[in-house]
Amino acid sequence: MTDLAFLALATVTVTSSILALEARDLVYGAAALGIAFLGMAGLFFLLDASYVGAFQIAVYIGAVVVLILFTVMLVGPQLGEPPLELKRLSLLAATLLSLLLGTAGAVSSASAFPGPDNCGSGCDLVGLSSTLINQYGVQLEFLSLVLAAAVIGALTLAKTERKAE
Amino acid sequence: MVNPIIDLLTSTYFLEIAVFPGLLSIAILGALLGWMERKLTARVQLRVGPLYASPAGGILQMFADIIKLLFKELTIPDGADRFFFIMSPVTALIIGAALLGLIPFAPGIQIANIEVGLPVFLAIVTLSPTIVLLAGWSANSKFPFIGGLRALFQQTAYEIPLWLSTLGVVIVTGTLSLTGIIEYQQNRGWLIVPQLLGAFLFLVTSTAEMERLPFDLPEAESEIMMGWQAEYPGPLFMLAQGPAFVKLYAFSALFTTIYLGGYLGPAPIPPIVWFFIKTIIIIALIMLFRSTFPRVRLDQLLRQGWTTLLTLSIANIIIAYFLVVGIPVI
Repeated sequence: MTDLAFLALATVTVTSSILALEARDLVYGAAALGIAFLGMAGLFFLLDASYVGAFQIAVYIGAVVVLILFTVMLVGPQLGEPPLELKRLSLLAATLLSLLLGTAGAVSSASAFPGPDNCGSGCDLVGLSSTLINQYGVQLEFLSLVLAAAVIGALTLAKTERKAE
Repeated sequence: MVNPIIDLLTSTYFLEIAVFPGLLSIAILGALLGWMERKLTARVQLRVGPLYASPAGGILQMFADIIKLLFKELTIPDGADRFFFIMSPVTALIIGAALLGLIPFAPGIQIANIEVGLPVFLAIVTLSPTIVLLAGWSANSKFPFIGGLRALFQQTAYEIPLWLSTLGVVIVTGTLSLTGIIEYQQNRGWLIVPQLLGAFLFLVTSTAEMERLPFDLPEAESEIMMGWQAEYPGPLFMLAQGPAFVKLYAFSALFTTIYLGGYLGPAPIPPIVWFFIKTIIIIALIMLFRSTFPRVRLDQLLRQGWTTLLTLSIANIIIAYFLVVGIPVI
């Protein structure tokens, strides 16, 4: 049952990711991206990481896809550029890459992903948040400063562009 | 060969999804809520409301409406994007029904009892403005498109206060699970008392999320003629109207769960009846907003959302913090 669900979700995710890149209509591309994110969230739910899954939906679909759609709608739903004439090559590259990744996953899966028993008491949400605040508080602050700097940088860039016009 | 199918059809899990609290009950309750809204609004405006289609007070009016709409012709406007045009109302309905799978209706009656029910509920809700936008865009018409864009603008105004207002409950109870939140209220009383500000904010922002008056900008009958639903033909219009009532039901159920103790109540009346008494009171309250408040403008909503509501929801988090830690003695 879990395997079937995994296969279905993986197929949906991969197919809609490809569609997101290849769709000529930008609105379709954005919607396909949303479905790909939804598939990712489903995979998180399968892994019992429903908290991450919830935020995958809220942040990536609720914010990122919405922003993309906003932009597409406000700029005007024009058709994107036609796909490049590299179909055969990209198909080959995709096959090779997925083979490589599949082999790597098959080789490493037994050792790389230990079961849920191995994580001890640090697994629960309360423990995680207290560790995050108590032990890694300073690092967390620095990370948020980096994010804030990125936002301010983006705002500055946007603003100067408008002045130049 | 037949036995597994019969087993599946009679299993509790299947019945929960298909009958109660799942799809069948959602469909019937959705229709009854439509009747309730029309009747309540009529009473406020000193009218009679639905009267004829019924054994009592026009209670079957919405079922009659559904049958009427189903027999209308399915026309799709020229230049519309057929895929999104048809799929959007269906998806919106699925999203609404998925929300109710997370609500604990009584001990043991819950489709998905997951550890993080509250954020999952709110995360699923964030999908619906996107669907509304796609529906509005796909119709290839002015009013639906304006309605869809309004839904997105509106989302930016209420989304953050909505999440933050529930954070107070999470801080006080220390759990994200909806069953856990009810269990907390078992001994310590309803959370609406310590979290009154949070409950108020949740009520306001969820009314905005449900696109109900005074925040029904994406539909706004008198401005943009039902907005994103304007081009829908009969059967699809029925599907597009459905999510509004399903979401009203789901949000009232969530309000009951996190602020009014859910199914908790004195013994002789069973838990599930308590749950529905509380939920229907909340539904009636939200319906009364419709007949008492005028519609806000988009700029007013955005300004209030980013100033008043955001500030109040942060204040509510500080209140919740002091409730947990205790007020420091200086």
